[in-house]
Amino acid sequence: MATFDIPIGPQHPALPEPLLLKLEVEGETVVGVDFDVSYMHRGIEKLLETKTYFQGLPLVERICGICNAAHGLCYTLNVEKLYDKEIPPRAQYLRLIVEELSRIHSHLLWLGVAAFEIGFNTMFMYTWRDREYVMDMLEAITGNRVTTEYSQIGGVRRDISPELADKLLKTMNVVEERTKYYIKVALTEPTIAKRTQGVGYLSPEDAKSTCSVGPIIRASGIKFDIRADDPYAAHEEVPFNVITYDSCDVFGRVVVRAQELLECVNMIRYALKNLPSGPFRIKLPMKPNAGEALTRVEAPRGELLHYTLCEGTPKPYRYKVRTPTLANLGALRAMLTSKGRYVVNIGDVPIIYGSIDPCICCTARVQFIDIKKDKTWTWTLDEIRNRSRRMRV
Amino acid sequence: MSFEESFLNEVKSVFGEKIIESKLFKRRIFLKVNPENYYKLIEFLVKEKGLYHLETMTATELKEGIEIIAHLGVSTSVSVKTILDKNSPKIVSLCNLIPGAEFYEREIMDLLGVVFDGHPNPKRFVLPQDWPSDIHPLRKSFETRHNQPLRNVGGE
Repeated sequence: MATFDIPIGPQHPALPEPLLLKLEVEGETVVGVDFDVSYMHRGIEKLLETKTYFQGLPLVERICGICNAAHGLCYTLNVEKLYDKEIPPRAQYLRLIVEELSRIHSHLLWLGVAAFEIGFNTMFMYTWRDREYVMDMLEAITGNRVTTEYSQIGGVRRDISPELADKLLKTMNVVEERTKYYIKVALTEPTIAKRTQGVGYLSPEDAKSTCSVGPIIRASGIKFDIRADDPYAAHEEVPFNVITYDSCDVFGRVVVRAQELLECVNMIRYALKNLPSGPFRIKLPMKPNAGEALTRVEAPRGELLHYTLCEGTPKPYRYKVRTPTLANLGALRAMLTSKGRYVVNIGDVPIIYGSIDPCICCTARVQFIDIKKDKTWTWTLDEIRNRSRRMRV
Repeated sequence: MSFEESFLNEVKSVFGEKIIESKLFKRRIFLKVNPENYYKLIEFLVKEKGLYHLETMTATELKEGIEIIAHLGVSTSVSVKTILDKNSPKIVSLCNLIPGAEFYEREIMDLLGVVFDGHPNPKRFVLPQDWPSDIHPLRKSFETRHNQPLRNVGGE
């Protein structure tokens, strides 16, 4: 039978990310796939070399809007490794709280998107409504809904007051109750089962050989979580369970993410109960020591890696970022080209693609050049402030 | 003896003098080898030591050449470094050993112009398809200011 090539993207209603999927199809089944992620290269790694470590933080937070807390955390932990100073334990606990809150919001957002992809719009609306509780808490703690910029080099930006802690605990009760309902829905609702079971199969061997990370590898039954394997911030002290599921398909990824929400809730409760006293930030000098540092953080989408090489100057000689979506692209190709029992139908491509929680902006971090306008301009700090005020209103 | 030290001793008992330089931190091991021992060391780490997970590959332009680092590991991260000649950087591809290396190597090909021998799919990856083939943005000679002539792409 003859095969056809179907290009999907980079702008396509079913795939809300700038990725070109070149599908090779035989009738209704997918037999081959190729990607093109080159639409979003913004040159962030290069740009970081021109900024000091302190100036780089706001830029790093903007690599990805959804996992900005993980990027900011990974960056600050990485830079702090270049100083021989101990960071106050209270700051590490506060970082963990915000990181886990942002994981809750990311997983709820993903559950909504996944439900939308399989045509289950009620669940999409439910999860996005409940995500608002978490966003409100993020705003109350950090001052911003999305780009939180909470973790700073040397600590965190703000403390959590006892009243805010109470409010957060109350919100966690709501999130826990709703999450239990979602787990029940995910496990019993026939719509979800029919559209996700046996779809997007990734064997444990493929998950290992393609070096996939995060909920993808855990849904293939492999216990791999940076929070447990290579603990950072306060994760050495805060207990949690690594959630795995061995169905190796999209259904497993739904269950893993939903159950991880409960773990996040418990971790936040534990951290608030055992919050150490003391300062939440120390001052660090502009110039770190020469050397190199490698930090791994479990972002909502999986293992996030930052590496830096410093020559003892305030600016990095090299800054490298590897985001989870790039690590999962190999796994996505393995899923889409499954053979035999798990062969992929065209109709299942969006949910399989969605199941890795893709973020192409993260993957191709790079440079923004407006080639049409031969014009450059600068904003003064006041202008930026005015604009930010206008946006807040 | 810490885990990192005993791990380093085990690697040194097999490779001995071939490990030119080593640095240890908490759960971090950095090893430096010559390009001809790079593949052998990674093969040993993957097959004998069970470090199946390739975290990523970093390439940096240093003064003495282009440094390639393969970061391996599940819990303890082992980084294998090697330095290549700046004018014609070339190294054997890891794709046969670790299929997950494909995208990391393609990214380095685009951004630093390193050639990976035996790569199954050496195509453009992160840069636009019409990007000039001899310009590599992460080379230190590439400046971040607008030193590239502006192209007229038509349209409004």
